[in-house]
Amino acid sequence: MNGAAMPAFGAHAPQDVVVWQGGAGVTAATLEAQAGDLAVALPDARHVINLCDSRRNFLAVFLAAAHSGRVCLLPASRAPQALAELRDEYPDHCVVTDESLAGRVRTHAWRGPLQIDAARLVALTFTSGSTGRPQAHEKHWGCLLATAARAQERLLPPGQRCNIVATVPSQHMYGLETTLSLVLLTGGAVSDGRPLLPADVRQALADIPAPRVLVTTPAHLRACVEAKLKLPALERIVSATAPLARPLAEAAEALWHARVHEIYGCTEAGSMATRRTVEGDAWLAHAGAWFESRESGAIYHGSHLPAPIPLQDLLESETPRIFRLIGRAGDMIKVAGKRASLAELSRRLLAVPGVHDAVVFLPEEGARPAALVVAPGISRETIAAALAAQVDPVFVPRPLRFVDTLPRNESGKTPRAALLAALGVR
Amino acid sequence: MPDSTATLAQTGNEAALAALLVDALNLQDVKAADITPTAPLFGHENGSLGLDSIDALEIALAIQRKYGVELRSAEPDTRSAFASLRDLAAHVHGRLDRG
Repeated sequence: MNGAAMPAFGAHAPQDVVVWQGGAGVTAATLEAQAGDLAVALPDARHVINLCDSRRNFLAVFLAAAHSGRVCLLPASRAPQALAELRDEYPDHCVVTDESLAGRVRTHAWRGPLQIDAARLVALTFTSGSTGRPQAHEKHWGCLLATAARAQERLLPPGQRCNIVATVPSQHMYGLETTLSLVLLTGGAVSDGRPLLPADVRQALADIPAPRVLVTTPAHLRACVEAKLKLPALERIVSATAPLARPLAEAAEALWHARVHEIYGCTEAGSMATRRTVEGDAWLAHAGAWFESRESGAIYHGSHLPAPIPLQDLLESETPRIFRLIGRAGDMIKVAGKRASLAELSRRLLAVPGVHDAVVFLPEEGARPAALVVAPGISRETIAAALAAQVDPVFVPRPLRFVDTLPRNESGKTPRAALLAALGVR
Repeated sequence: MPDSTATLAQTGNEAALAALLVDALNLQDVKAADITPTAPLFGHENGSLGLDSIDALEIALAIQRKYGVELRSAEPDTRSAFASLRDLAAHVHGRLDRG
């Protein structure tokens, strides 16, 4: 990938829409001119902390930075403390938000292609850092596009330019790949906003033309399914950040007649594998990529990546490219001398008919696993009996507590403190 | 007593909504009656309930189920409606009254 300058809008004609904003289309020519302006107008700093919520602004700032040799910093959290730490760690920076751009967004005449070198470092993304400081991961332009090309084969209908609505932020790897790399690679377009509530999702989809793709998380998808949302024709639904329960995927497919595809990815690599959730729990690695299964965590190899990526996840390989996730290194528990994976127990619990959502976790070291379960209409005995048929009795969760919803955070994960609180343990 | 009591006391509508929030969000450490009607629901300021956007999803669903009112965060008045228990109750009942 050395020295190959690539036009940022190589897949778009100048008049093609790249962002849908308030029902109107922003064209490649307009965005290219705006990014060209910004490349000159941005403060003279090495790093650009790109906090724009508007996809249009995010894209313009991202391309302006990449074109002018700056690097976008994409923090996982907006918490004031996290941002302060980021500013300290990268003193040569400027911060760009929708507000700070407000007076500056001008639209000049198209001045010709905006080029970005494939080998250029364009962004640093950060792992959420549930333990310790956030870890930075380098993103090079060519690799972002190569990853998106592999995701495109799986997620999008072939030969169509799709219009995407995403409920995830552009600053997270999943959002960056689906709302920026994938759009630029395929010549598609993205909706400017980030809808949250089901009615917002419906409105955002209604405001863009077909073929429509909804990029979301299990938490948002569940809310839309429970609201029995009436949506305009949907081509695809994409979900990531946490495992999607199969009944939820089935309900979504039945409700909107669109395929639901899941991405298995990580901040370090972006998307790595996909599955259509209703077809089974096996994942298929991206083209040219494979997983090496190890007891300490799998290793991801991809011909499009500069180096193999060690993962925290444990997997069970059918072939080097087809696998099931069985847990996370460190999520193996030992009870009475027997070993099991919490993720595996969660998966089995989720598979019990009538269970909508569930998580198995360890309230304290050496204790029995406990569970929070969303399963209106079935009894604790039914669930325990179903599990007892599959796992050793010591791994049948106790207490098994029924809740209306799991305590998920913004990225769909279940923080330990919230699990303990929901269980009633202090 | 001065005005502060009136500010802090929940009205009947607010109390019902507070119970709904505690139930929908599984706020086990929070008693519905203890939610200050004017305190921020979201964010990390002092006195805030500290809710996040996924909580907003749950709240919207619970409100739709119980009151049949569909919330949209894209509407400016809904944004301000999520500011506090008092604002949310006023918004929901305002929508109910308008039919």
